[in-house]
Parts: sequence; structure tokens; C-alpha cells
Amino acid sequence: MPQVPNWQLGRDMEYPYAADRPSKQFTMIMDTNKCIACQSCTIACKSTWTWGKGQEYMLWNNIETKPFGFYPMGWDVNILERLGQQTWADGVYEGQTIFEAAPEGERVLGWTPAEEDWSHPNIGEDEPTGNAEETTYIPEKPHALMWMYYLQRICNHCTYPACVAACPREAIYKRPEDGIVLVDQTRCRGYQECLSACPYKKTMFNLETRVSEKCIGCYPKIEEGLQTQCTTACIGRLRLTNFLSAPDEADPRKPADYLVHIRKLALPLYPQLGLEPNVYYIPPVHVPQKYLTQMFGPGVERAIRTYENAKDDPELLGLLMLFGATERIMDTWEVKDGVASAYDEKGEEIVAVPLREPTFVRPFEFATEVAGEPMTGYRHNT
Amino acid sequence: MPDTSYTRKDAVLYGGAAVGGFVVAGAAVAAVAKKAGDKSTPVEGAPIVARYVDGDLPVTDPQSATWDEADATLVPLAPQQLVQPYLETAGVGSLDAKALTNGAELALLLEWEDDSVDDLDGIRRYHDAVAVQLPTRAGTPPALTMGGPGTPVHVLQWRATWQRDIDSGGNTGVDQIYPEVVHDVMPDDVLPPETAELYWVGREAGNPLSQNIRSTPVEEIVAEGFGSTTHLPDQTARGHGSNDGGRWHVVVAVPTARTGVGEALAPGSTWPVAFAVWLGSDENRGARKHISQWQSLVLEAGS
Repeated sequence: MPQVPNWQLGRDMEYPYAADRPSKQFTMIMDTNKCIACQSCTIACKSTWTWGKGQEYMLWNNIETKPFGFYPMGWDVNILERLGQQTWADGVYEGQTIFEAAPEGERVLGWTPAEEDWSHPNIGEDEPTGNAEETTYIPEKPHALMWMYYLQRICNHCTYPACVAACPREAIYKRPEDGIVLVDQTRCRGYQECLSACPYKKTMFNLETRVSEKCIGCYPKIEEGLQTQCTTACIGRLRLTNFLSAPDEADPRKPADYLVHIRKLALPLYPQLGLEPNVYYIPPVHVPQKYLTQMFGPGVERAIRTYENAKDDPELLGLLMLFGATERIMDTWEVKDGVASAYDEKGEEIVAVPLREPTFVRPFEFATEVAGEPMTGYRHNT
Repeated sequence: MPDTSYTRKDAVLYGGAAVGGFVVAGAAVAAVAKKAGDKSTPVEGAPIVARYVDGDLPVTDPQSATWDEADATLVPLAPQQLVQPYLETAGVGSLDAKALTNGAELALLLEWEDDSVDDLDGIRRYHDAVAVQLPTRAGTPPALTMGGPGTPVHVLQWRATWQRDIDSGGNTGVDQIYPEVVHDVMPDDVLPPETAELYWVGREAGNPLSQNIRSTPVEEIVAEGFGSTTHLPDQTARGHGSNDGGRWHVVVAVPTARTGVGEALAPGSTWPVAFAVWLGSDENRGARKHISQWQSLVLEAGS
């Protein structure tokens, strides 16, 4: 089996196909700290792509409450349990990936959700850990006793997709121009091997057309230079659709490169599984880091420190302010004189956002004239 | 490669075909003599003789008395463990095969034990099926694993789902999988048909697997190895399947001319033939299937 470089693991790993990085890699950055689980993203995706008959249960995008929310049920804890306890040492993953741990006769260590596991998209919503009677007031941070947070989930458009590895027909492919992973709708024969193999459970079987479908990264929008539906519908402005370079080609002027490679603020989801997923998460600051390390790898502590200092970090703050400020995909950005500006590939400005909105204070009473007579006015705050 | 312990000396007909280190071992036909007139007990290892009959073959009637003309051969099946992904455990040990020909068409009656009828495709819900594999050319048989590069096979696959498509006029989707389903607004409620149908992407893209309105429950494909299954542009195979008393009775028929596919299945000729069976309730699908070794198929010439 070929050996491929996986920078998230800090080592090479086994994969059924040779490494072939796309010229650009679709990526999404999620700031988990800003999400309120309003599901505007979910509805934007559903009403655009998956409201057809046969797609009823499909949520290419979903928001789940961690640690007790899952769609499908138990998707992450099941594969973690199958993989067993693994270890990191100095940023290098010493454990096995799901490709390396594949049993005889299988290409990937998989787990197949039962039909009913797809029946509860909102299970665990807003449920915190711990017992309410223990405490509802937690002075310390991270909150060791009670916590929860929202995890935003789409297809990770992985560099080494497990769905691609498992498909016996090579019906799933990664586009060389942007790294978006797609199911060839003319080639799929509905074996559902991808549903077992993808640890993120983001391929789904269409009950009417009998072939598998998945998040398409809103590729018709990407081709027009626009961010995805879930990104532009997000009222919390916590998403950024962008392109990510390989670490040795990281360009600090590019938003995703800056957040992932330069500042190491945004982290991959379950990197230990070995897929090199391309959705990156700014971890929640209030959650126990032991849990977050299992989910996002060994960079959690540093990322949280960086995020907590963002208010005194104009360059980073400026970039975070540009999230959700434009529908167009940013190529580069800069912060100058208190204003963050984003540019397209031609270097033309797309949008500019002040780091601090200007504040104007009016006097409580003010002088005016009524019918030529001087009067003292009173302004209602309306 | 794993140990292919199911290789059975008495079922192996041809030697020399090798793929990926797996060798179909064995030497000559080990035809088992059978008692004349004993048509009720299928005989393991006997050549499958397609009896010549005049007129139309009972393609849509597995119970037709015409099938009594043919002798049954017992074909051992084993879990597919040559190519990933494997079928871990067997759910059925054999199938019984009979054949008839009228010179223009070859029909096979395939029967196996399965007390669970699986004829809808859903989430982790798979169908029962059977397939017949023939080489496209006479001579040394291709690799058992659906042929290989340059040595194609011609496969006829019957699926229970496609039979239900035909029997029900295409009512084999969400409403049948979940009879109590309540739909919200669907695209075809509010959009013109040409726009609404875009939401059935596989169907719109022309994937033959996505069509629920069909004229035959048997798909004709060619392949040059696992994963290379290719739907033929001209679909000429016919068939019919029904489950009666915990046993599938499936007829698969194909014109002997095999125009555009391969050499004709001429009267008097002998061909290697192999079979595959899928049990939906055991989560069989794709390569997770039961397979036979190459058997011998003899087409009787008309008098």
C-alpha cells in the first residue's frame, strides 16, 4: 500500500492510492465559539440541495451539541471505540489510522450506522455534561463540571478520503482543481461502502435514486468565486470558505493559511483517523482541554491561548471580523489603520470592515427651535 | 492472499486462469455420472446442460412444466474472499441451476434458499440478487473475479428490487420503505417537472441503477475485473424471479447471438459459467457476495 504524507499526523501513513494533492484545496474555518445552533446553515443547505424525495434524512450540513449530540447517532464515539486508545508524542501521531487499522478483507476500519441512528438529528441538543444538582455556577475555567458547545459539520473534503478509499468502483473522486470530493452520480451502484467507511458519516444513500450523495461543497458557487450556502447564511458569521495550501507552501497573506498553518488557531476534526480533513475548527475556550485534544489533536491549548488574545491582536482580529462580511471568497487580506480589507485574486478590494465601529454620544438634552422660538429638546432613545 | 479454502476439486473445471496470485486450480471436467431419469435431485459437479426445446422459453415462469425437461445441477457457493471487501460469513451454501435453449435464447433457472425477501433498497438495507457470469470469448476462462484486463466477462444480474420495480410499476421508494411517511412539500409539488426531476440527480444523470421504471429485472453488463462493471448500451436480457416457501426461483435469459457483446452461444458449444448470490438480509452487496467456481454449461443443439 502506498505511503502518503499527512502533515496533521506529522508522519507518512498508509493509503490505498498515491498522494495527489489538488492545485487548490477547498477548506472551511469554523469558529465554534460564535455558534448558537440556530441551524440557519442547515436550512440553507437543505433548501438548496436536499429537499427532494429520497433525501428526507439527508443533512449535508448539521449542527450538533457536543458531547451528547450526534448525527447520525454516536458517529464519532463508535469509530473512536473501534480504533481504541491511541497516542500522540510531541505533535506526532504514534497510533494507527483507520486505514492502518483496517481488518483483513476491508480497506478501511469502518462502522455502519443502523437505520434508526439517522432518525434523531437533534438528539442531545443543548444538553450539558454533568449533573445539574452538582452545580449551575462554575467559577473556574475551563468549566470542568458542566459544559457543552456546538459543532458545525459538513463533509471535510479530506485530502485522503475514506469514502474514496472504500468505493470498489472508484465512483467517488476528488476534483483536481479545488479538492472538492464528489460522488459520480452516473457511476455509483449503491453498495453503501462509503457510508461505512467515512468516519464523519457525510455520505448518504438516496432512497429514490439508490445511489449515494454527499455535500458538494457548493461547487457551482465555488466556481463563481462565492462562499458556500452554509457560510453566507450563518448569522453568527462564524464560517469562512477559503482555500488552503500545503503547509510548506503556506502564504501568510491568505486567510486559511494564516489561521491554520501560521497561527495554528484552527484545528482539524479527529485528525488521528488519518484522512487529513479540510474543515478546521477554532476550539471552544470553555471546554475541558482533554476532551478537545481527543477531538482536535494536540494543538488545542495553543489555539485557545491565541484566540483569547485576539482582542489585542489586530491582524488576527481583523481577519475574524472579515468572516461573514462578504459572499465572495477572499484571496488575501490586510489590516491597516484599524480597517480590515479583503482582496480577490486580482488584488481588488472586495470588502472593508472597521475593527471597532465608531461610537457617537449625543447629549441627553439638546437645543432646537420650534416655530422660531428656542427650545430645549429631549430625545427618546428610539 | 488469504487461503481460498473453498476451492473444491469436484467443482473446478478449468486450470490456468490466475489473478492477483489466486489460481483457479484443477484440471479436467469431473463430470459426475447421474442416474437416468432422476431429475429431482440436483447433482453437484454435473455439467449444466441447456436442453433444447422448441418455441418460447418459460422466461417469466419459473414454475412452468417445461423446466422439468432440464436436469438440475447443484452449484456450491462460498463467501467472496478474493478481493476486498470480503463477505465474512456464508448465508447460503449452494444454488440449483437448470438451463433451456431454443437456439435463439438461453434461459437459466436458478434457485436457492432464502426465507427473507429483500426487495427494497434503503439505509443499510440491501436486496437479494443473483448473477450469471459468462466469458465473452471461448477458450481459457477469464479470472473468476469478474474477468481481468483484456479478458472480459459478460454478466447477467437479476435483483429483487428490479423485480419489484416491474411488479409494482416503480413503486419502490420512500413511500414503500416507510409506509407511514408524511411528506412535506416536495419539488414536484411546486416546480415544473423538468426542474423537479433535477432533485433525483442519479436518475437525471442517466444512471441505470437509479431508474425505477424498467422493462426487465435483469441487467446486462461487461466487466474486466472487480470494480469495472459497465452497463451495456443494448439491454437484451430478460427474466423473472419470485420467492416461494423461503426459496428464490429466478429465471435469467439472454439471446444466444450476444450481438456486440461477444461470441455467440452456439448450439452444441460448451462454456464456462459462474454464479453469484446476494442475501440482502445478511447485508450482502457488491463484492460482499457468495460466488461459485467456474461450472460447465453445455448448449444442446436442436434436432
